[in-house]
Amino acid sequence: MERRSFLKGFGAAAACAVALPTIASAAEEKKSAGPNEMNFETAVAAITGGKALMPSAKVKIKAPEIAENGAVVPVKVTVESPMTSKDYVKAIHLLASKNGNVRCANIYLTPANGEAFFGTRIKLGGTQDVVAIAEMSDGTFLSAKQNVKVTIGGCG
Amino acid sequence: MKTLIKIKPKTYTAGEIVKVDFMAMHPMETGMRKNKDTGALIPAEYIDEVKFMFNDQLITKMVIWESLSVNPLMSISFKVPGAGTLKVIAKDNKGQSVETTKAITPKG
Amino acid sequence: MRQRSISAALICLALLGSANGEEKLSMSDADRKMYAELLESNPAEMDVAEGEQLFGELIGTTEYAKMLGVKEKELPKYIAGFPRYIEPAKKVVTLAQSVQMAAAYAGKPVPKLESKEMVKMSAYVKSLANGQKTNIDVEANAHMKEMMTLGQQVFEERRGGRGLSCNNCHSKEIVGRRLRMQQLPDLGAKETAAAGTWPAYRMTKSQMVTLDKRMQQCMKNALMAEIPLGSREIVALEVYVTNKTKGNPINIPSVKR
Repeated sequence: MERRSFLKGFGAAAACAVALPTIASAAEEKKSAGPNEMNFETAVAAITGGKALMPSAKVKIKAPEIAENGAVVPVKVTVESPMTSKDYVKAIHLLASKNGNVRCANIYLTPANGEAFFGTRIKLGGTQDVVAIAEMSDGTFLSAKQNVKVTIGGCG
Repeated sequence: MKTLIKIKPKTYTAGEIVKVDFMAMHPMETGMRKNKDTGALIPAEYIDEVKFMFNDQLITKMVIWESLSVNPLMSISFKVPGAGTLKVIAKDNKGQSVETTKAITPKG
Repeated sequence: MRQRSISAALICLALLGSANGEEKLSMSDADRKMYAELLESNPAEMDVAEGEQLFGELIGTTEYAKMLGVKEKELPKYIAGFPRYIEPAKKVVTLAQSVQMAAAYAGKPVPKLESKEMVKMSAYVKSLANGQKTNIDVEANAHMKEMMTLGQQVFEERRGGRGLSCNNCHSKEIVGRRLRMQQLPDLGAKETAAAGTWPAYRMTKSQMVTLDKRMQQCMKNALMAEIPLGSREIVALEVYVTNKTKGNPINIPSVKR
């Protein structure tokens, strides 16, 4: 990944943000080619269906405070839950608040997971919040966020 | 698309919660990057769906977007019910699809 | 005092993440630990696995050991000593060059040093030495001594538009200072374990890169002409840099920024 062009790309995407159609489910709306710009508010609304987002200590997000390279930022999300068929985490949604397309991944879990966990590596177009939304089986949405500063490293 | 499934830890028992790491060699193009020489946008090309199955039963379904890093990692927890086959089906937005399997062999 | 002016040009800041609530400017130990965890699921593992297949098809460890004149079970320790003088080549060679030699001996097409196949194969061959300690011996013979001297010369020679040398950023005196927002590593330190951890997955390039290629990338950024892969000078440079990390463990593939 060429870092500079990557950043430039995100800048350009922000400059030409398109009007977004109303979307029932973020998962359904997918284009086969071209950028999928979506801003943070729209993406959150698409996930929660307009329900309130409750910041919760049950959602733990682990990401570096400072990333020397925005192209590879490790992120781990864990949600406290017994993961039984009656009480489990239905989905973990991972978002990056300022990327052109803020959505990173929508992870639909089942009790078979035994633990609500998702680990990955994401691209960040600059310093921003990484946000995790946990969709609980009782229909509530819990969230947590962490700010990640993207700096510039040394020699290429 | 080259892929790899890793179970951590390497040895585990039935009933234990393990981590399943799925990795793929994929450019994860955002569609926002320009070709340096021509200035043309490089078309988006990214893994958009990953399914984790155990003995053909769906464990986890992922909708993936282009913000995941190049050669992405997707890691989940999995409570090992017993011996069987773990299968990961990954598909990208260009329709390329790959199936990777890994034998689940709990000890003891 | 050219050296000093260049040092001053680097952004040199006080200790990072200090206790008095000063804003953090570079990664904390916890951040580094998270990145270190990347080792457990390194994309380059797929390359190493492919390297194993390619190497098996082209040469195989048995033929490779035969060419080197060592027993197959001694390969890991022997591999941990590259670059070294090998009789069939009549010169000091890198691990990748020894793979080329073996291919030539087996009457197979010789892969180019810069080819993707070669990067994968040399990473696989080096991974055979995982757990071993880098045991380069620069006193082993006259050839090695000569390459060590040349390597130091190349390391310290100022070249290019800015008159920089490797030493400008990698001398003992400058370790820990910052280049942009990154702290400069000590090439010889156990944590850096430089030579023992290449080939590595470079996050900035999203691919596996060999040590000599990394040195070329460094030269390019420092506005120096790149020393060609396989040349006497770059092999010497690898000898010199590897010797700094002698005794450090080999762990292939690793992850670098």
